[in-house]
Amino acid sequence: MLDRLVARAAQLPAYGELRWHANHSSRIMMRKGVLLANGRSRDSGVSARLYRNGAFGFAAAPADDEASLSAVIATAKDNAEFAGGHAASGALSTAAGSGSYDYRSTRAPLSAEQRVDIVRRLDEAIRARYPGLVNVDISLSSHASEKILANSDGAATYSFVPRAALVVSMSVTANDGIVELYDILGGFGEIEDQSFDEATLAPWLEDLHENLRRKAEGGQCEAGDHDVVLDSALAGILAHEAIGHTCEADLVLAGSVAGDHLGELVASEKITLGDYGGRGPDGKSSFAIHVDDEGTPCRDVAIIENGVLKNFLHNKRTAQMLGAEPAGNARAFSFQDEPLVRMRNTCIAKGNDKLSDMIGAIERGYYLKRSTNGQADATSEFMFGVNCGYEIRDGKLGRAIRDTTISGVAFDMLKSVTHVGDDFHWSAGGGWCGKKQVIAVGMGGPSIKCRVTLGGRG
Amino acid sequence: MSAPTDDFLDQILARAKAAGATAAQALSSRTRYFEIEFDHRSVDLVRSTENETTMITVFRDGKRGGATLNGRRPEEVEAAIAAAATAAEAGVADPANDIAAAPSLPPGDHGPSEPDRAAMRAQVDEFLASLPSRHPLLRLRDSLYTFTDHETEFANSNGLRQRERRGGHGFRAMFMAKDGALTTSFNAAGGRSFTPFASLYDAAGVGRLMAECERSLERRPVTGKFVGDVIVTPHCLTGLLPSIAGALSGPALLAGSSPFKDKRGERIASPLFSLDNAPRSADFVDGSDFDEFGVPTRDLPIIEDGVLKDFLIGYFFSRKLGLPQTAGVRNSRVRPGETSLADMIAGVKRGILFSRFSGGAPNDNLDFSGIAKNSFYIEDGEVRHASSETMVSGNFQQLLQDIHAVSKEVVNFGDCVYPFIAASGVTISSK
Repeated sequence: MLDRLVARAAQLPAYGELRWHANHSSRIMMRKGVLLANGRSRDSGVSARLYRNGAFGFAAAPADDEASLSAVIATAKDNAEFAGGHAASGALSTAAGSGSYDYRSTRAPLSAEQRVDIVRRLDEAIRARYPGLVNVDISLSSHASEKILANSDGAATYSFVPRAALVVSMSVTANDGIVELYDILGGFGEIEDQSFDEATLAPWLEDLHENLRRKAEGGQCEAGDHDVVLDSALAGILAHEAIGHTCEADLVLAGSVAGDHLGELVASEKITLGDYGGRGPDGKSSFAIHVDDEGTPCRDVAIIENGVLKNFLHNKRTAQMLGAEPAGNARAFSFQDEPLVRMRNTCIAKGNDKLSDMIGAIERGYYLKRSTNGQADATSEFMFGVNCGYEIRDGKLGRAIRDTTISGVAFDMLKSVTHVGDDFHWSAGGGWCGKKQVIAVGMGGPSIKCRVTLGGRG
Repeated sequence: MSAPTDDFLDQILARAKAAGATAAQALSSRTRYFEIEFDHRSVDLVRSTENETTMITVFRDGKRGGATLNGRRPEEVEAAIAAAATAAEAGVADPANDIAAAPSLPPGDHGPSEPDRAAMRAQVDEFLASLPSRHPLLRLRDSLYTFTDHETEFANSNGLRQRERRGGHGFRAMFMAKDGALTTSFNAAGGRSFTPFASLYDAAGVGRLMAECERSLERRPVTGKFVGDVIVTPHCLTGLLPSIAGALSGPALLAGSSPFKDKRGERIASPLFSLDNAPRSADFVDGSDFDEFGVPTRDLPIIEDGVLKDFLIGYFFSRKLGLPQTAGVRNSRVRPGETSLADMIAGVKRGILFSRFSGGAPNDNLDFSGIAKNSFYIEDGEVRHASSETMVSGNFQQLLQDIHAVSKEVVNFGDCVYPFIAASGVTISSK
């Protein structure tokens, strides 16, 4: 297939990419012992994208034969003409990535019975060990993105990037209603590559249940501005939502405030934040990328260096418009999707401070342990949900708190950072980011002490 | 790409039976999609895609397994049938697992089957030409004018067959305003319609939101923390109502985590609030004639004058919970009230016009907290200023009870229709 795409890409009438792309996924989901999902899915097809006078034409079809490939190229050409670009836009970057990056598991695949058995045994064990639970949800899922890409500048690459996650959610009845908590285990690789054995799961479940028990006994946050310690498990979503999105060049072109601050001090000098190719700076992220979906080889991007805003994230078009070099941030979710400016492995670099010192430095505030969903904005105002945390009173952890949301203006909040931890954590199970398309991302960082706004009725 | 045929699904069912299925069903969806994407300067992408997805479910002695594929490559169809059969064999037996017996409907045909691309392009060009004079400070990104033709076919081994086609236009604008160093939050809105929009500004209230966006450049937080009123806009409801509908659904009842689980027949909301599930409504381009088990859908009141009339229960959960099937597809319609938006604002002592919720997913107890984005502070019946860094916290169970006005004005999004709703008792705070 790669040879076919390379040959056809060389004959394209303008700059363009041809991509064969398959998403493979599976999901087993059990609620209170009832199997609600038990299956797999696969979607695949070919796409063509052609560039003409500052605009793109794109077409895709769920097939990979020569006739379908010819048809999508012809339709993409028609669409590019229909787009009617008129900009004297010049040439796009011609850096051409290559190579085969195959991360499929070398272990024997688990059978359908073995996969269902992981979930069934776990459900039985949880309900036996913690009899007071109102509900138990267990989800075992996998996703792999397989791509073959060639472009008219000579890029030619293959990749297979898998990851898998086990999610357990427990609910109990508190004096004011149902309280729930979930946690995620897993990350890079296929289900066969993960450690879902008893020795790994037992302490993990014990920790989840203990946090749930304390959360049920806890109370609402006090709404307002507070000193907080963000656990390293939250640092990834902070890097992603607060800074990463604001520094995507398509958002900068749309008017993101980051565009007004390039080269300026936007954070404490303790903050260094980057977006990385491969599997991140330590090679342990839940996501891998070496060549992006425009065929650009991936380079690391320093977004903030010692507090100074240094770079934005680009595709070929935004790089051309802003006079930068793309570093491999153009990514598409499925064969039907065009590449967009996306993050890859985004993280804050670890520092030298101890978590215990950060907690000890707060007289009245919160220690926030786990996040849920998040959102960014052009103003750099960010938010993310927190489903596990504790009060800090006089430098010590107090009662647990119920679900809350934290927010802040990133370029203000990052200046309030006084401590950056010597720990580091990639988000378990990997993250998903929504921006026209969903896409897999890696995100990580250390514990951080800073000041944010919390929602709550306390 | 050829249209789905009865033969294709029949062949799948026959092969599933040969692979050991005691029963089987298949749901095929063929989609043709056309999109013009633009920012405030120009069109930057024209995209057209085709896809055909088939979801195969195999039942084997009370166990269930599934596989989904796209296209019709013979080796992949065979692999999907084998995977579904293997998954079913590995599954957990449950008496609720079975295919449906229901009447086969005449094929449904809704909306146009082809876009008028030239007319769509002309509308986009007209929109972009008028934008600088109508909204000189607005910047757009990833804004889309689309046409989707979607054909769905269902078959099961009981002989149930369903088929429908739906075609419609969609418009979605994502925008912000910028004036020198002043920048607003992003906002986004859009809707779907069988017919092309008369004006893209009229699609799902986009024009109103664009005007509000330009008035949001000078923003400030509300002062301190107080318990006040919210006027929840239709656009904000699109983000909030799924949490409430989720709490009324079969999965939440099975979990035992729904705060409404024992409340059928009881008042769970203000008498001013009525919610219908209306998948057959001619108002909704994204409605559906039948569900994923092939069961014909029907329109039903869910909450009527504040009283919970029924849950949203699909085919499987109906069998599992021993309750009548009342849903399978969700298209929410909150009935309009008798108050104008202007009168609702005039009645607020202190609160906000709550236009978008950006917050953590509400928990099982329906507690919520998040930022009030694109929102405005109201005091003594007047909109005072756009808000920034303003958090709202509360509980949806209580908010439903505390509704004191529902607007005459509604916005149809193509899959749901909502009015403005005024409620009290929400904690509003800033830093």
